[in-house]
Amino acid sequence: MRVLKAILAAVVLTASLAPGLASAKQYVIGFSQLGFDHPWRVAMNNQIAAEVKKYPEFKLIITNGQNDNSKQVADVENLLQQKVDLLIISPNEAAPLTAVVKKVYDAGIPVIVLDRGVLGDAYTMFIGGDNKLIGEKAGEFVAKWCGDQKRSPCNVFEITGLSGSPPAQDRASGFREGLVKNASAKVISSVTSEWQKEKALPAAAAVFQAHKDIDVVYGHNDDSAEGAYIAARNAGLDLKKMLFLGIDGLPDPTGSIVSVMQGRLGASFVYPTGGAEGVDWAYKILVKGEKPPKKVVLGTDEIYPSNAKEKCAKYECKMN
Amino acid sequence: MTSPSIAVPVAAPARKRGRLLEKALRFQGYLGLVIVLVIGAVFSPTKDGVNLFLDLTNQMNVLRYVAETGIIAVGMTMVILIGEIDLSVGSLLALVATLTAHLLARAGYSTAPTILLALLVGAAVGCTNGVIVAGLRIPSFVTTLAMMTFARGLVRVVFGGLAIPLLPHSLGGTAADSAFFFAGKVSFIPVPALVMLVMAVITGLLLRFTPFGRHVYAVGGNAVASRLSGVRVELTRVAVFTACGVLTALAALIHGIQLNQGAPNDGITYELNAIAAVVIGGTALQGGIGSIAGSIAGAWMLGLIDNSLNLNNINSDVQLLVKGALIVAAVSLQRLQRRS
Amino acid sequence: MSATEHPAVPEALLMMRGITKRFPGVLALDGVDFEVRSAEVHAMMGENGAGKSTLVKILSGVYHLDRGEIRLAGQLAQIGDPRAAQRQGIAIIHQELNQVPELRAFENFFLGREKRTRLGSVDERTMRQETTEWLGRLGLELDPNRPLRELRVAERQLLEIAKGMSLQARIMVMDEPTTALNAEEVAQLFQVVDRLRQSGMGIVYISHRIDEIFRIADRVTVLRDGRLVGTKPISEINRDSLIKMMVGRELRDLYPTSKRQPGRAVLEVQDLSVASMPGRRELHGASLSVRAGEIVGLGGLLGSGRTELLEAVFAVPARKRVRGTIRIDGHEVQLSSPRQAIRAGISFVTEDRKGQSLVLVRSVGENASLAALHRFALGPLLRLRKEAQEVQGMVRDLRIKTPSLETPAASLSGGNQQKVALAKFLLLDTRVLLLDEPTQGIDVGAKAEIYALIDGLAQRGVAVLLASSDMPELLALCDRIYVMCEGRVSGEVQRQAATQERILDFATRFTHLPQFHGERPQMARSQP
Repeated sequence: MRVLKAILAAVVLTASLAPGLASAKQYVIGFSQLGFDHPWRVAMNNQIAAEVKKYPEFKLIITNGQNDNSKQVADVENLLQQKVDLLIISPNEAAPLTAVVKKVYDAGIPVIVLDRGVLGDAYTMFIGGDNKLIGEKAGEFVAKWCGDQKRSPCNVFEITGLSGSPPAQDRASGFREGLVKNASAKVISSVTSEWQKEKALPAAAAVFQAHKDIDVVYGHNDDSAEGAYIAARNAGLDLKKMLFLGIDGLPDPTGSIVSVMQGRLGASFVYPTGGAEGVDWAYKILVKGEKPPKKVVLGTDEIYPSNAKEKCAKYECKMN
Repeated sequence: MTSPSIAVPVAAPARKRGRLLEKALRFQGYLGLVIVLVIGAVFSPTKDGVNLFLDLTNQMNVLRYVAETGIIAVGMTMVILIGEIDLSVGSLLALVATLTAHLLARAGYSTAPTILLALLVGAAVGCTNGVIVAGLRIPSFVTTLAMMTFARGLVRVVFGGLAIPLLPHSLGGTAADSAFFFAGKVSFIPVPALVMLVMAVITGLLLRFTPFGRHVYAVGGNAVASRLSGVRVELTRVAVFTACGVLTALAALIHGIQLNQGAPNDGITYELNAIAAVVIGGTALQGGIGSIAGSIAGAWMLGLIDNSLNLNNINSDVQLLVKGALIVAAVSLQRLQRRS
Repeated sequence: MSATEHPAVPEALLMMRGITKRFPGVLALDGVDFEVRSAEVHAMMGENGAGKSTLVKILSGVYHLDRGEIRLAGQLAQIGDPRAAQRQGIAIIHQELNQVPELRAFENFFLGREKRTRLGSVDERTMRQETTEWLGRLGLELDPNRPLRELRVAERQLLEIAKGMSLQARIMVMDEPTTALNAEEVAQLFQVVDRLRQSGMGIVYISHRIDEIFRIADRVTVLRDGRLVGTKPISEINRDSLIKMMVGRELRDLYPTSKRQPGRAVLEVQDLSVASMPGRRELHGASLSVRAGEIVGLGGLLGSGRTELLEAVFAVPARKRVRGTIRIDGHEVQLSSPRQAIRAGISFVTEDRKGQSLVLVRSVGENASLAALHRFALGPLLRLRKEAQEVQGMVRDLRIKTPSLETPAASLSGGNQQKVALAKFLLLDTRVLLLDEPTQGIDVGAKAEIYALIDGLAQRGVAVLLASSDMPELLALCDRIYVMCEGRVSGEVQRQAATQERILDFATRFTHLPQFHGERPQMARSQP
């Protein structure tokens, strides 16, 4: 009887230790997202979550800043309290989040800043896209398209993001620099849809009313270009003669990869979220002990009808 | 009755004159709308001799795109008339629009059952709001604020965070073509505008020609006196919130079909647009005074302002300034007219 | 202002000639003359809607006259706004005093004209001193530091009067000053008015209370329907002729003297008890009955439970709080809401007509038909023409003065509003009519009409239960009077045996009241 008990105890003890013995150390990654209400942000969340799954050592906590600086500061404080091993943050605005990020960094926790920056340099690394570069590529594409289509003049209608926001400003200025390559191409109208498809519809409808000769519609994000497409369709315009393009390049069912495949958008430029890269770098920092570069600029990818299927496979896009 | 005789009230000619003045004052509530139309026309670009702002296509476009706000405003008018508020309409719109996209595009439902289910969900949410306000006596501001958060969370949990595409077969999608009647036209009138008009007329008639309509105005004007006059106050409240939910669901259907998607993140700030339309239209926030026609005029006016600014390519920051100033000006004028 | 003897020839401080004022749809004043002399109390009387408040608003600069002229001390005057009126020596003591309850007495006294020290800060010491001084001249001792909401209405009024004096007012208008005062305070007020009169001030005294007018006024002016009926020295008229001037005809019998034959009991209340609620008196086992064709009174002191009893019969409180039996025509009824009470044939015209009877923002027509909409419904729709006809008929029968059926109820005078509240239930098939203070705040002419209406209804077989603190009203109208005390029905008095003393006796049966130097406790309002 006593021998039996001893064996039982040994088995139980070993079994309880086994998971600990088998696995490596567990790391908790805290991710402070500025808000969940935009598809691009949702894509970032999903990409981070998906990438984390590849690393059994990683456990993920995501917080929702609800587009509010104070809330996001509170979120980061919260993650600090929970003693996360690494912080990934996409800050709502630079100045208000700088102090709390510094606090985490000074406590010895690595900080990876995604997409939008903070002030100073109290963080481990910044990963982000280059909106100006993307805008320029879009402008060059339009300049070439206008030339190929022999449109002179080539009238461009721009739908901007939230005016005053850095991405919108960069995508606008970059675009114009790229457009310069074709003298007959000009932006003749620019209205804002504040990144939203809902707002793009009536705004585009008005512009199509005012200008019957639009050749190109350039949306600062895909949603806006899609909204303009619907407005153009409702207005009975000849969609085959027009080019609609946007930025984001998301693989979800209402994203531009599917749209290009289905023939609505003529081009889309991927604005990478950096989520997957962030998690990969987190692995390198925590597990491999590598020292990362201070700044990683993500490239862009271009989606055209000619390569859409291939990109769809690459980004694992969902049709519906 | 052995009552003694008293002198006749106001002399007959004065009474007739007074009634004419009353009628004129009633229509001055739409002065703001007229002013916006005039300003928009004056500042409108012209092409080939056509005033682009006043052009029929443009005006029909405006009506098409204010229809969603307008339909919600019809429901919101009733809610505000009884002295309450409904902040949950934006979230409910997202919920029903996403549900619609799911049913039509993914689950392969046909149009009629989709419409039915959408309206049922709207009724259920509205009824819940009404029961909590009327039964548990929690102020509607708090109740609908909570529902706003709850519904938004619900749609994200049930359908995930991503938008669901909603395209008809004819455009390469998976949804029934018949549903897209709601994005089309009847002759030159866009269907959404038609739906808005029909709902406005039905509700307007309801408010004017039925006992229920009188109850709505009475409860909003003085709930205590209404109860003491035999009005079922609680039932009226529940009915009004339910109606608002159904109308919001209708707007959501149109929203999803027009936008070719149902998204959990849609409809944010739609409640403010609807409330703005109602208030601009002359309905008092305390309740008891107002009309459906006024709210439609208010929604239309908001759409016209946006349209005029877009036609003239005005910088969006300036747009906000101009819109705010115009709204205040239009409402002030209405108030001045009423006071005299 | 020191007390000086007034000169032998009275000077006209104020002369208003040919004042005409029109509003959309209504001629409020038609060529009215009004004059106030130095050292006089000049009463202004008239039914509600006669034009008194319009005239006062023109005098105080709130309205501008359309035609006519105003002379102050002989000089033509322009009164563009209330500040101008104040500057020219006109002070108005409104019924709802223009004071800020949160501020202290002296702060209210100097509201808008605060005294400053040489350094520019607010000079509270001087303000307090001066406030005390001015109040002293009226014979009132009051701590100027007390916050206004702690003061009684009488004290607030005197503060306002002192303020007017300090602004060198030569003319002071007092609008229904005694509504919220008890007998002692009224006496005090009259002493002050006397003092003001002796100092040479001209006082315009607006009131419905004929007894007071005869006590305090030197002359009286009567307005009717926007026109001047006449101005007479008080010595040359008596009560009856004054009423005749106001109402335009002989008001021989304010109260109807009809013979009614009561039938069987329509309303029977047995052991009605209602649990206590905040702000409400609990009822203990009240029992009473009202027969068809009877007018039964419900008397008692303020707060004795009369309103609560009527509310309980009308099913206003939650059912679980109510115990006891109610029978209509011999059948027991279980009522859970006013709606059910109405369907059972009970009508209730509440005390607070603005707050509980009427929806002020809606029209007269909508208010009148609100309780009876089911009578005008055809399926889900309303038969508007039938409704308009019946409501119009009611307006005619009740002689409700309104420019049209679409006029908002808020525009009507108190008396006419009360008639609309009555009309609401008269459009129904009422078996039991519950009335709570039906003639409160209503002028003599309208009162007579309402009494006649009630009598008419009783003659048609309606059982009327009337709660009132107006003793003469109860004694003259009612066949029987139940008296309440502390939530119980303490006694019943038959018409022949009914006197004020007997009612008061029952009203204080369960309480122990100290003696009040011969003054009666609050029950009766002053005589109309």
